[in-house]
Amino acid sequence: MANFAHLHLLLNHFPIIGTMVGLGLFLLSFIGKNQDLRRASYIIFAAIALIAIPTFLSGYSAWVLLKGSGLITDPLIARHQGAAMLSFWFMEITGAFALVGLWQTQRTSRLPNWNVTAVLILSVLTVGLMARTGNTGGDIRHEELRDASAKTVVTEGPIGAMFHAVEPNPQKFMADMVFSKWWWTFMMILHYMGLILIVGTVGFLDLRIMGFMKQVPIRPVHEFLPWGMAGLGINILTGMLAFIGQPESYVYKEDFWMKILCLMLLGLNAALFYLTDVFEGIENIGPGEDAAMPAKILAASSLFLWFAVITFGRFIQFSFDTFRPGA
Amino acid sequence: MAVPVILQTIEQTGISTWIRESDSIFGFYFWLTLHGIGMSLVVGGNLIVDLRLLGFAKGLPLKPLKRLFTLMWAGLIVNVLTGIALLTAYPTKEVTNLDFYVKLTFVALGVITMKKLSDQVFSDDSMTEVAMIAKGQALAKWSLLFWFLAVTAGRLLSETATYDTYGHIAGG
Repeated sequence: MANFAHLHLLLNHFPIIGTMVGLGLFLLSFIGKNQDLRRASYIIFAAIALIAIPTFLSGYSAWVLLKGSGLITDPLIARHQGAAMLSFWFMEITGAFALVGLWQTQRTSRLPNWNVTAVLILSVLTVGLMARTGNTGGDIRHEELRDASAKTVVTEGPIGAMFHAVEPNPQKFMADMVFSKWWWTFMMILHYMGLILIVGTVGFLDLRIMGFMKQVPIRPVHEFLPWGMAGLGINILTGMLAFIGQPESYVYKEDFWMKILCLMLLGLNAALFYLTDVFEGIENIGPGEDAAMPAKILAASSLFLWFAVITFGRFIQFSFDTFRPGA
Repeated sequence: MAVPVILQTIEQTGISTWIRESDSIFGFYFWLTLHGIGMSLVVGGNLIVDLRLLGFAKGLPLKPLKRLFTLMWAGLIVNVLTGIALLTAYPTKEVTNLDFYVKLTFVALGVITMKKLSDQVFSDDSMTEVAMIAKGQALAKWSLLFWFLAVTAGRLLSETATYDTYGHIAGG
């Protein structure tokens, strides 16, 4: 029967190979300063940053389900988790900078130099960290790739040792997230603030596109979007920290995975909105004008999915442990 | 100070018990979810109005934002109704919690500010945008502060409660 290990094995290829493809296109863009290739690589980085979320979550979930089964060993898992944590955070930061760069191209046709430099450095580091993560992940079950003694003690080579020196200790990180109920509450307060930023700004834009408050032109409403994206960033950060701190409170819950699925669908929704001609067709809509039906449908689905995220998120505490073995 | 017995009486009513203990999808977490949605309508709407008055998205005309107040008042009604339901489920937990009164105070201040914005800034259609901003900027800052504090105090409720139900210590 399929479990989180299967999901993780399916998803993990996306961040590892995706970042390489993105970096490849990005480096190619320097030949002839091709802005289109550069923008394409940025879109890939942003998409991979989103897919990295369920990839990371499924890996942690596979560990929660399989620990104690004898199928996996603690030293190898801990090594992989530390590598995954570091590569995940770098991926999210790279994706955030990519989104900022793409936002800037609304005003200018070129990506700002400061942003290109930042994304170059971050993406190179991220590809390296992803390769490390993939390598340590492969060692977990592929005994032909490693020393037999690695089941109990992991010996790093010179390059591995360099990575290992900067990787977080996953057990310590977990403990740090739950060391104080006030720290936990502070994270949850930030999570609520992020929610308000998203619903206020994205919700307003969606309602206008759907046809409410037609006296308002769409372009200035769209200018609120960076606040919404800041809210999304806050929520990804606090949400992931909460998950790392108490994975067993989330892993088995159907509502948690439905919330994550809705977030992925929102990413797809945004891709359809911005990467087709839908956004181009509505961005200059003035007072009294109506948006085309495809835009209205995407706006309505966006609003529906955000409220679904809130609902599933709130119901996590209430729901049963659907995925707990024996449940 | 002794916990008033009336709170136990409320907790023993059918409706309180049902909201608090039911396995139905329409139980406690349903009301909590609606409370969260209402909060995002009220505070999210205020956020847009306040940010605009403070100078963000200057291309957005101010006067049409008057329509957002309908959404905000709707969100507030949802929160009052769901708040009553939540209070009915856990009267001891909330009434004995100082933070509950802190939250209500900031909510009241936020609502008063919202009403002032509606009456003083958005009610006169002949007022220019410059005049609206001059009148509304200070109110916008207070609004952001009050709603931020209200949401924070609300989130702290579960951490600051002394009791879960009558006679039962929180976390015990």
